[in-house]
Amino acid sequence: MLSVSVVSINILIALLFSLGAAPILVWIERRVAGFIQDRLGPNRCNIKGIRLGGLIQSFADMLKLVFKEDYKPSSIKEGFLFSLSPVIVFVCSYLTFLVIPFADDLHIGSETFMMQALPLEFGLLWFLAFAGLSVYGIIIGGWASNNKYSLLGAIRAAAQVISYEASMGLSLVSVLIIYGTINLGNMVDYQGQLLFGFIPAWGIVLQPVAALLFVVTAFAETNRTPFDIAEGESEIVGGFHTEYSAMRFGLFFVGEYVAMSASSALIVTLFLGGYHIPWLNTAALQAHVNVIFVAIMILLPFGSYYFARWITKNNRWPQVGDIRNKEAAWLKKILLIVNILVVTLLGSFLLFGLSDDGVNISVAALQIITFAFKLLLVNFFFVWVRWTLPRFRYDQLQDLGWKVLLPLALANIFFTALFVVGFGV
Amino acid sequence: MIDIIFFTLAIFTLAGGIGTISFSQPIYSAMSLIVSIIAMAGIFALLSAPFLFLVQIIIYAGAIITLLVFIIMFLNVKNEHLPKEENKNIHLTLSAFLLIPLVLVSLKAFNTLPLKSMEIMSGDFGSIKLFGMTLFQGWLVPFELISILLLCALIGAVVYARKEDKIG
Repeated sequence: MLSVSVVSINILIALLFSLGAAPILVWIERRVAGFIQDRLGPNRCNIKGIRLGGLIQSFADMLKLVFKEDYKPSSIKEGFLFSLSPVIVFVCSYLTFLVIPFADDLHIGSETFMMQALPLEFGLLWFLAFAGLSVYGIIIGGWASNNKYSLLGAIRAAAQVISYEASMGLSLVSVLIIYGTINLGNMVDYQGQLLFGFIPAWGIVLQPVAALLFVVTAFAETNRTPFDIAEGESEIVGGFHTEYSAMRFGLFFVGEYVAMSASSALIVTLFLGGYHIPWLNTAALQAHVNVIFVAIMILLPFGSYYFARWITKNNRWPQVGDIRNKEAAWLKKILLIVNILVVTLLGSFLLFGLSDDGVNISVAALQIITFAFKLLLVNFFFVWVRWTLPRFRYDQLQDLGWKVLLPLALANIFFTALFVVGFGV
Repeated sequence: MIDIIFFTLAIFTLAGGIGTISFSQPIYSAMSLIVSIIAMAGIFALLSAPFLFLVQIIIYAGAIITLLVFIIMFLNVKNEHLPKEENKNIHLTLSAFLLIPLVLVSLKAFNTLPLKSMEIMSGDFGSIKLFGMTLFQGWLVPFELISILLLCALIGAVVYARKEDKIG
């Protein structure tokens, strides 16, 4: 019973971080794009005045995609492959997310649970395997569309994956040499240590070159700008999804965001300390959980107070009857309720004390929140880069892949191995 | 339970193999090959060899077939380019029948093999660590020789693909 509930909670969290994050990421993408281009982005879509800064627009978009006519051009002969390819992209992207650990191994009573949806030891290889497979969706889709632009997009996607997967794998080899394990959970454990006693031993500190290489190849692997030549709307219309519409396109679209979220999650896990709060590894967190509770109880009301003031300042409309004024009132009420709930919950924890299991569960919850926060930051980075850098030209992309990234990755492996063997770290 | 999974995977492997040789459109053949390879990876996983399972997917399904598909797409084979194979099914059935004696002989040969336990290995067998240790301690020289062979092939490909320098 216990194991079933923990496993289902893990699967739910994975769903939430990948599929559930998609509408939020679309919202972030559009609003950030707006701010970068000195405009506001979508912010008017509302349900009875509730706009949540434009978040409702994502749900409206999704409803539109679902209810659109399921149209397939009559020029398409391979209907089965045409419909299969978005499914491949979506399923493979989702499968890559399942091996990411959200928290340290959870001990309840005598049982131990790995806090990932699929408790596999070889999570890194699993990620590489399914990230590589997801390109088939693009290739098959582009080919089945029976359209030269789609075919060009598909060919570009295939060439890009072949050239960047090698660098991605090689950049991970040097990381593996440092961590000495292929288990993602153990890698995060390793990053809980301190370097020289005061720097968190995160992957980005130990392996900056590998981190850079992996981030670049992850952009290529998820087909995000500046590597979105498979789509390349200024050159080849829409690339591989030119002929797609409605929910078939929707699956491609959501699949891209799920893949982006999975890549961000892997970047967090490998290079940004995973679920660790900086300077507080799991043991320290368990020892000082009460201090953390007190800190949250003090910081949360303060933060909420300033957030409420920010809402009041930015969401005030001169007309009395304006429906948008209600939103601010509602949000402030919800904020207040959340504050009261959290403070009473944590206060009761402090007052009555927690059992060992309780401490373990609250530490896991804290780590999941930390992980979600880091995931959001890296996702934001993906969006930021997309709206900052222009797209590579095809030959520039191949030059970068083969002449810069690959030699750099090989050199990095060589020097890392030399260092590890020479100093016996 | 394991038997059911094995038979499902085996059916997919065989169906993929048959598809590879019987489809006339090359891209369908490549797709069938992927099905076959992934089902084969599943069989590796069943035989407690997780490393082979994932490497099979990463290398074969993820990289090699992608390259193959890339080249097929580059050639852009259309239906009218393909040879007309009107009696294909008859040919396939006939050749299958012709192979029966060979299959019988190999079955007979298989039956004379000494009996061994066919249980799935348990424990650490096939884990990444043990696999790597065996490969790099017991089989280091063959491993390096194969690497050199691959390197030779790589250099050969580059030499062939390079344009001749114009003299004078």
